[in-house]
Amino acid sequence: MTLRAVGLRILMSVAVAGLLCLLTLPLMALVVRLSPAAVWHRLGQPGALAALRLSLVTSAAATLAVVLLGLPVAYLLATRDFPGKRLVQAIVELPIVLPPTVAGVGLLLAFGRTGLAGGALHAVGITLPFTTLAVIVAQSFVATPFFISAGLAGLASVEPRYLEVAATLRAGPAYRFFRVMLPLALPSILAGAAMSWARALGEFGATITFAGSLAGRTETMPLAVYDALETDIDSAVALSIVLLVLSFGVLVCLRYAPWAAGIGGSRRAQRPGR
Amino acid sequence: MVVANTLIARDIMSINIRGGASVKRWVWRTQFLFAVVITGCTSRPGLVVFAAASLTDAFNELGDSLRRRDPDLRIQFNFAGSPTLAFQIEQGAMADVFASADERWMSAVQDSGYLAGTPTTFVTNRLVVIVPRSNPGQIERLEDLARHGTRIVLAADRVPAGRYARQVLLNLSQRSGFESNFAQRVLADVVSNESNVRSVATKVQLGEADAGIVYVSDVTPAIAARVRRIDIPDADNVIAHYPLALLRRARHPDAGRSFIGLVLSPEGQRVLTRNGFLPRE
Repeated sequence: MTLRAVGLRILMSVAVAGLLCLLTLPLMALVVRLSPAAVWHRLGQPGALAALRLSLVTSAAATLAVVLLGLPVAYLLATRDFPGKRLVQAIVELPIVLPPTVAGVGLLLAFGRTGLAGGALHAVGITLPFTTLAVIVAQSFVATPFFISAGLAGLASVEPRYLEVAATLRAGPAYRFFRVMLPLALPSILAGAAMSWARALGEFGATITFAGSLAGRTETMPLAVYDALETDIDSAVALSIVLLVLSFGVLVCLRYAPWAAGIGGSRRAQRPGR
Repeated sequence: MVVANTLIARDIMSINIRGGASVKRWVWRTQFLFAVVITGCTSRPGLVVFAAASLTDAFNELGDSLRRRDPDLRIQFNFAGSPTLAFQIEQGAMADVFASADERWMSAVQDSGYLAGTPTTFVTNRLVVIVPRSNPGQIERLEDLARHGTRIVLAADRVPAGRYARQVLLNLSQRSGFESNFAQRVLADVVSNESNVRSVATKVQLGEADAGIVYVSDVTPAIAARVRRIDIPDADNVIAHYPLALLRRARHPDAGRSFIGLVLSPEGQRVLTRNGFLPRE
């Protein structure tokens, strides 16, 4: 091995080790702090249980909303060309990079009582801020792009020939979508839904700004972690471990599940050979 | 960034205790790596003051005055709820001065051994009820706070302003004209426990909450036009004592002392009282 090759190898090792340390040490630090029994004990406390329950309910609802509203958008983006399409794509992807607190302020100024759409919402009897619904709205806002990008990739990777064949057999548009396109794109759609769910579960900034923080109503697990940090750090760690296990579980499942073939797989499929 | 680093460092040390000598070496190396990376990220450090959120306007004004006096001085403020600041200090955040909104969180920091010297009370404060100018909850008097369905926002009870607010509600429950379960009824209508008092003011100012309890000093000129004040009688009010102290790990102890000196000086006290605080008695 030449000296240069050795040097390169050392540099690579340092980079890999450095990055792995950065990513895994904080996780390890969380896990080694408490014994499983201690974690279990703290999770059994009423405050933690309420936060866990609220988080599961709101993140499930947000995922459902994102899938129902996101699927038509993903379909349009995957199959149609229209002026301003790239702009729409950028808007849909914005929540990935937007600071969640900014999202929260925006949501408050848009859907708050005195917000842009506040009057209209009030007219139909809906007041959002400080409600569980506000938590779901905030989570949906931040989780949408994760579903759209995976769903779009999945739908775009469906061979147009199959749809053409279905059309020659007199399959209507609805039939073509639900019986041909959707089953073929299902792995990506499920993967996108899982990613959205994980993102919704971890939502903090937009929630605390838009929905406030009240145990049992708007205090989801990430907010409970933030609160507990200042009073009982071990409770915060116990809740963090649950969030860590759930999020990591989603990603591991996506990597290993045969039907999902990984989120990375769907990215490759984003450029179908047309 | 600083806080993140210290969090990691502390947790590395807890692994250190469990691990063997080789782990220890490795740990020190990674910690060195972190130190280099983090130092690279942070800008040239100056005097760092950790102060309760309610001090935001007054301390910024005092900071400007210090900067005018010494143009080379760099001074940075970290405003947050007192428990947040205490937590950050105990996790090793680099700060020179800590100003808390109550004695409890100052004592917590003192008991953990992070103070240099003893804390001094530098100002006092009292509470006031604020409602949005449009008054959507139709709160005219303190009694109206107990009306069912009023959207009340308080600071969380671990935050000094939140603890004082609950004390005020209990005090009022003892008053004639108030029901004995006044405090309970108000607390049942709390829609959010904010992590610092300024967030309470924000939620009221935006008209999202019907009422909130904040310090008199939180009704700054910037928000005074957007809210209405309902005063709490002195007899039922809580006087908040604000202590400040130099921190043991201070990197700029001299600058820290001169900041504390300024706060306690007649000029500092003038700035504080102009911002709605009460003198330190």
